[in-house]
Order: sequence, then C-alpha cells, then structure tokens
Amino acid sequence: MPQTTFDIFRYQPDFADESYRQSYALDHEPELTILDAVLRLQNEQDGTLAVRYSCRSAICGSCACRVNGKTVLACMTQVEDVKKEFGSDTVQVDPIGNFAPIKDLVVDMDPFWEKFKSVKPFLVPDGPAPEKERIVSKEAMQKIYNESKCILCAACYSECNSFAADEEFVGPAAFVWGYRFAGDERDGQRKARAKLYSGQHGVWDCTRCMYCNERCPKGVDPRDAIEKLGGIAFNEGISWADSGARHAKAFLISVRTGGKLNETLLVPFTAPIQSQMDMPFALRMLRKGKAPSPIPHRVKKRSEVNKLMKNVKETI
Amino acid sequence: MHTHDVVVVGAGLAGMRAAIAAHEAGVDVALVTKIHPVRSHSGAAQGGINAALGNETEDSTDNHTFDTVKGSDYLGDQDAIEILCGDAPGEIIQLEHWGAVFSRHETTGKIAQRPFGGAGFPRTCYAADLTGLVILHTLYTVCVKYEIPCYEEYFVTELITDDDGACCGVVAYDMVHGTIETIGAKAVVLATGGAGRVYAPSTNAHASTGDGMSLALRAGVPLKDMEFMQFHPTTLSPSGVLVTEGARGEGGILLNNQGERFMSKYAPNKLELASRDVVSRSEATEILEGRGVNGCVMLDLRHLGKEKIMERLPQIRELAMAFAGVDPIEAPIPIRPGAHYHMGGVHVDSWGAAPHMSGLFAAGECACVSVHGANRLGGNSLLEAVVFGARTGDAAARFVHDGNGNAGAAKPEHALEYEKKLRGLLERTQGTPQHEIRDPLADMMQEKVGVFRNGDDLNAARKVVDDLKEKVPTMVISDKGRTFNQSLIHAIETGFLVDLADCMVEGAIARTESRGAHSRTDFPERDDEKWMKHSLSYLEDGKVRLDYSEVTMTKFEPQVRTY
Ligand SMILES: Cc1cc2nc3c(=O)[nH]c(=O)nc-3n(C[C@H](O)[C@H](O)[C@H](O)COP(=O)(O)OP(=O)(O)OC[C@H]3O[C@@H](n4cnc5c(N)ncnc54)[C@H](O)[C@@H]3O)c2cc1C
Ligand code: SF4
Ligand code: SF4
Repeated sequence: MPQTTFDIFRYQPDFADESYRQSYALDHEPELTILDAVLRLQNEQDGTLAVRYSCRSAICGSCACRVNGKTVLACMTQVEDVKKEFGSDTVQVDPIGNFAPIKDLVVDMDPFWEKFKSVKPFLVPDGPAPEKERIVSKEAMQKIYNESKCILCAACYSECNSFAADEEFVGPAAFVWGYRFAGDERDGQRKARAKLYSGQHGVWDCTRCMYCNERCPKGVDPRDAIEKLGGIAFNEGISWADSGARHAKAFLISVRTGGKLNETLLVPFTAPIQSQMDMPFALRMLRKGKAPSPIPHRVKKRSEVNKLMKNVKETI
Repeated sequence: MHTHDVVVVGAGLAGMRAAIAAHEAGVDVALVTKIHPVRSHSGAAQGGINAALGNETEDSTDNHTFDTVKGSDYLGDQDAIEILCGDAPGEIIQLEHWGAVFSRHETTGKIAQRPFGGAGFPRTCYAADLTGLVILHTLYTVCVKYEIPCYEEYFVTELITDDDGACCGVVAYDMVHGTIETIGAKAVVLATGGAGRVYAPSTNAHASTGDGMSLALRAGVPLKDMEFMQFHPTTLSPSGVLVTEGARGEGGILLNNQGERFMSKYAPNKLELASRDVVSRSEATEILEGRGVNGCVMLDLRHLGKEKIMERLPQIRELAMAFAGVDPIEAPIPIRPGAHYHMGGVHVDSWGAAPHMSGLFAAGECACVSVHGANRLGGNSLLEAVVFGARTGDAAARFVHDGNGNAGAAKPEHALEYEKKLRGLLERTQGTPQHEIRDPLADMMQEKVGVFRNGDDLNAARKVVDDLKEKVPTMVISDKGRTFNQSLIHAIETGFLVDLADCMVEGAIARTESRGAHSRTDFPERDDEKWMKHSLSYLEDGKVRLDYSEVTMTKFEPQVRTY
C-alpha cells in the first residue's frame, strides 16, 4: 500500500492571521485522486481542512488547485501519477494562484465571477425569436463547441501572466465566454462585443504566455478564444487610437511578470491592426507564442523587478 | 436579515428555471444555494433531454406520454405526465432561444435527437455529452442577465413556519462569513436536487444529500414514493462515476464474461435500450450468477469507431480514461449498476405546491409530482427540472400576486435559535464523527436496499438505520471555527441522509410487490390491486409513518411491461 505525505497550504482565518503549511501522512490504495486524499484527511485526520468540491467527475469545476505548483482539477489527478512525475513521495497541495484565500484551499472567487459577468455572457439576438428553434448548421454550432466545454474552474487564471500583473485583466475564461457569444451566429452583438473586449485590460493585454491553454483541464484553449476575438475585432474594424500608451503598458506588463523585456511580445500589443498588411504578421506572432519564447534577461528578485519598474515608469 | 417575495433554495436546473419564471412574472425572487449555481449537479447530466420535436422521425407528445407512463410502471400520474410531455417542446425551444448550444441535425440544422432507453423514437435532444452543463450554463447566463440576486454558499438548515404552519422563510449558514441568517419569504421553492448520496456507490455529486426533502419532512411535510431509487446500469467502478445512457443510445453493447450480449435474454426487442430498471436487474443477475468480471459487466463501444466516439461521446472517453484507466476506443469499459436518480421527493401537486404547507413549493429531483412513478426514463429528469421548475416559479409568483404569504413572520430570532443549537454541536468534544454514520449507512443501503430487495434484508436495514439514528444526536464536529466549516455541513447533511434512508427503508418494507426500480425477490410481481398507489412518509416523533394516495390515470390502462 503506497504511503504519501501531503504538504498542504493552510489558512485558518478564525484562528490565525498568517498562513502556514501542514504535513499529513496517508496510507492508501494505489488508485486515489488528490481530492479523495484531501477528503480522507478531512474525515480521518483533520476536520478543519477546507476544499471546494462536488461532482468528483471533472465537470462541476469546484476543485481546481495547485499540486506541486501545477494547476489541476484535484478530482482528476491521481496521487501516484503526481508522485511519479515529480519523483517524490511528498505531494504539495495549494490553492489556485492569483486569488485571495478564504480558508485553506478555498479562495475568494468573486473577482472571477465579476470578470465573467463583465463580458455580458448571455445571448443578445437580433430581432424577435422564431416560433421554433433557430436553424443553425452543425458546423456553425461546432464553432463554439470548444468554448461551451468551459466549466468555469478558474484554473486558467491561476498561472495567467497578465492577470498576475494586472488584476483588472479580464482574463482567459471570461474571454472564452466572450467568444462563446461573439462566435455564436445567433448573437447580434458581434461588433459591440469586439469593442467591449478590446478595451483596457482586454484581449490585447494578454501576454500569450500560454499557461491557460496548458492548464485548462477541459481542453478549452482560452488563448485560442482570445486570438479568435482578436480576429473578430480586426474584421469589425475596431482600431486603437492609443497605440503608444498600449506599447508602454505591454512593456510594463512584461517587466512586472517576468522582469524581462521581450521585444517579440511588444509587436502584437502595439501594432496588431494598424493596417491590413500587418495582420497576418500579428497573427503569426500570436501563433508563435505557442512555443515557449526564449526569455531574454530575467531578473531574479522581486526588489529588482520593482526597481526596473520604477525606471520604466519614469521613462514613459 | 433579508426578505424576498420568493426564495428558491437550490440553483440547479429546477431552481434557476423557477427563479427565471418568477422574475419574469414580476416578483422579487432570490436564489439561495450551498454551492455556486454552475457547480450544481445538473451540470453532470450527459445524455440529454427529451421532447417530441420530431426532428429525426415523426413523433408526438402522446408517444412521449405513453413511453413515460409505461416507463413509470404505471405509478406516474398521467395528468402530470401529459403536462411534462406537452410542455417539453416549448421548454426546449425556450432554452434554444436563450442560447443553449444543442447539437444540430446534419442536414436540417434543427436540434438533433438521439435514441434513449425506454423511448419508442429518437427523442433525446443533446449537446454532445455535455447536455446538463450546457443547459445549466444557459440558465445561469439568463440569471446573470436578469440580475437575479443569488446567495452563494449559503447552506439552508431549516424552514421557518408561521403560527398557522405556513412557510415564511429559511434559516441558512453563510459559509464564507460564518454567520447564521434568516431569509424571509412569502413563498419558498425547494430545488435542492437528489439524494443519491444515501447510497455508495452513487453517480451523484457529494452535494446530492437530499437536503430539501429532509427540510420539508422535518417541517411536517410528507415525502412521496421514497422507496424508489433508480440504479443506473452503467457506472464506473469503484468511483460510481456515470457513463451516459447515450453510450448505449449511440450503439454501445453490454457483454458478460463469456463475451455474450446478455440483454438478448432479458429484453429481446430493446436489448441495451430497455428501461433502466430492466437493464440494471439484468446486469445484477449476470453478476450474481457468476458471469461478471470483478463485480462488473463490460460496456463495449469499440465497434462505434474512433470518430464517432470522439464526436458524440468525448467526455465519456475522458472519464473512462481518468477514472477507470480504460480508453473505450481500444477496450470495453467495466461497469456496474449504481444509485443514480431518486424518483421520490417532496409531495407536491402539478404546480409544485405542497398541499400540506401553504407557501411551500418544490421542483426538480427533490420533488415528487409524480411524473416518473416507479422508474424514470433517461432524459426525462432534466426535462422535469425545467418544465416543473418553470411551472413552480410561475405558481409561486402567482401565490405572491394573490396576496398570500407572510414573510414578516420570519424573524432574526429564528437564526439566533438555530445558532444556539449549533453552539451545542460545536462545543461537544466527544461523540461519533459524521463519517462513521454516513459511510456505513451508504454501504448498507447498497447491500440491503439495492437493485434486488427482500424482506429479511430490509428488516436488517431497518435495524441499522435505527442504530445510526441514535448516533445522530451525538455527532461531534472537529472544526470549531465559523468560516467555511465543512465538518459542520457534513454533520448536518448526515442527519438529513439518515432521515431519508429511514423513509426509503420503511417504504420498501411496506411495499410487498415489485414495480419499476423497487424489485423484491420475495414479491416478484407487480400488484396493481393492492399497490397502485403512492406512498407518503411523515416524520412523527422521530418515527416514519406511512400513508398512501391515489395514482391519477387518464388514457393508459396498466399493461404488463416488456421491452
Ligand atoms: C451523472 C448524472 C447524469 C445524469 N444525466 C441525465 C441525463 O442525461 N438526462 C436527464 O434527464 N437527467 C440526467 N440526470 C438526472 C438529472 O441531472 C437531475 O435529476 C437533475 O439535474 C436535477 O436537477 P435539480 O435542479 O433538481 O438539482 P441539482 O442540479 O442537483 O441542484 C441542486 C441545487 O440545490 C442546492 N442545494 C442543495 N442543498 C442545499 C441546501 N441545504 N442549501 C442551499 N442549497 C442547497 C445545490 O447547491 C444546487 O444548486 C443525471 C444525473 C446524474 C447524477
Ligand atoms: S496566454 Fe494570455 S490569457 Fe492565457 S494565461 Fe497567458 S496571459 Fe493569461
Ligand atoms: S477555460 Fe478551462 S481552465 Fe479556464 S475556467 Fe474554463 S475550463 Fe477552467
């Protein structure tokens, strides 16, 4: 019977102001998910442990958390697989990143729901509804099928670079829902949506770090949805008056997130849609972002980043 | 303290549909839910939702009605079933108009429909194998659009009644802030979903603990037909995670350890697509008679081919790989029957109103109208949740518009009183942890009140329930904090589960016949003369008392059920 040590992030606001870590040893059958492990610990060792969960079949989206630093759905992740992957009998479990903890693995999701609501996530059709269903081709419906699979688990925000740098960044899942409606041929708000999503903290603030695509447990590919929204904005003729400001902001983000200045990153931010000629180039650049970009000049410490930021702010 | 015209407890399909209907009818309605609306278990429904749209072949609401009546083993109320099937096309079209991403017919672009168990025609609308998720999300987006207030992560612990015994609100534990709140209402709609967690294994979510049923029962409202728990024929072992009936609808076949397609013995015409109770019993028989594989039989999808599996059943493939380590494109999936859907629930009429308590309504799986009778057909419960959710929301709004309801009778003192009770529970340091009640209860229910039942087992079950019931007041909670105290919630839920098991066992002991999902080896025949009636369980002085009520028949005389 395998034995595993679970090293779990603890935050118990009723008893302590600071968070801490706690280790638990568990003997278990080889088949055990991270969620079942936490629930067993909750029953057998420590009733104060808190974790959101419900369906335990990867559909309700409650149990996203970080396991050895990587964001996953706890119910879908086998303990033994994690141990094998990391070559260790200790498994670290943390809440998802970028959200404030409420208790242990439970985080404050309000900012996530606010972002979701900010994209006007509901169908706004043109004209009155027909008597029967609207006729939509199989292919047209298929277009938004991938986005319809989103379970709103927020795993994609947990390691999102732009969100880490700018808490007002609308973010991957919200844009998934943006595309789910903007790409729905029954919706009549394509242009208005493109405009809404292209503003400050919008689609062009994505740094294309690709973590959202990598971490999404349902294969939704949020970055692709963002790319498609960019395409819609372009086709709808949405343009930027403040491209200079944008350039500066992109620069800021890239510094804050990685302490790096990545020239390739700046191009699509500032010059995506200046002319039709630029578009294929911008798109190519966007696609290129799928490959991990070489990181020029990464700084190590937070204080260094802060210094760099100060300099940047003063010069722009 | 908060007050609304209508408070809907539960934000799954039934709850949100009710809230939307009430909102559209012009009353102030709020949702109260222990998990965020999109976490509700409706989202796990894979297969589909029935409506006689006739998009694939000719179909009619009469056909749908007949199939449902027959599926119910004639225990469903036929007037209510006529409503269910009659309103179905309109509700599906409404969902489509709100944006639901239904799969489409190849050539016509209309909503596609697939065959499902117990149905004479391809009648099940679907969104690949994410039907519940898509509909749940659609309703949530409508609630967002209407800005319907929602108390998220509020766990309802009690119903409040006024001096006349009318329902006037709820007490709830605000999990994030750690406070107990009174929420007053002129009408309360219970939409808390199923009680599958009375059993293990179960296809149901951890949150499906039947809370609303127990809340009603404790407030003096009877529960109907509690002995009828449906066992789904295809659940993964050991987790109980569901493989949708859509897998058989798309052509999946069931094999025993001889590689024999055993359904040809039990349901020569409908084979794997016979009604669920029939397929579950056939599997259980194969396994009991030694033709199983490690307590399972095999569901074979390989002949469907990779493309069809990827297009129509992608989630099933993902689940089989994640939870059973099997890729259905390459190997058959080991499956077995598991507790899935509870036909019983809060006794209500076809407007969702509880005849025993003014101001109380219920809809969805926690209610029993009854449209499913002794056995529900696949694809009919999402439908029930939206059709009766809408009707119940309308009815609750009408109740308010007619000047009924007494929200003012709900007082902050109700929360304070509950708070006192909780303090006792929180301060206790010695006693039984909740899982030492919950786990043995669920295992026992599976063993003794499962697919096949008999008098001896049921009497043994009664004894276990009685023993566990005595432990409930001694439960001890290890978390002494206020914030997100799941230990506390689990303890309260465990109390609910024991109540419900009690009703299920008593109902099953009394019903000396076999009908639908209730199959007694000592009384193998259906007995219409004696048992064509609904059972009603009341909780009186901590004991279940049974009573019975008439089944409504309109067009269809009971026949022998063959598939
Ligand atoms: C795996 C699976 C697959 C299924 N597939 C199908 C299918 O293909 N077709 C079909 O027709 N049916 C299917 N069913 C059945 C169907 O999904 C359910 O019957 C239906 O979704 C129930 O909806 P509901 O709104 O009544 O409850 P739920 O969706 O379960 O919602 C319950 C709500 O109540 C809330 N709640 C519960 N207790 C409390 C409390 N104490 N305080 C506050 N809030 C509370 C919860 O937070 C939740 O919001 C399936 C069921 C399962 C388990
Ligand atoms: S690609 Fe964009 S949206 Fe996705 S995680 Fe990176 S910054 Fe965030
Ligand atoms: S896009 Fe993926 S990771 Fe993000 S919320 Fe949706 S399902 Fe979760």
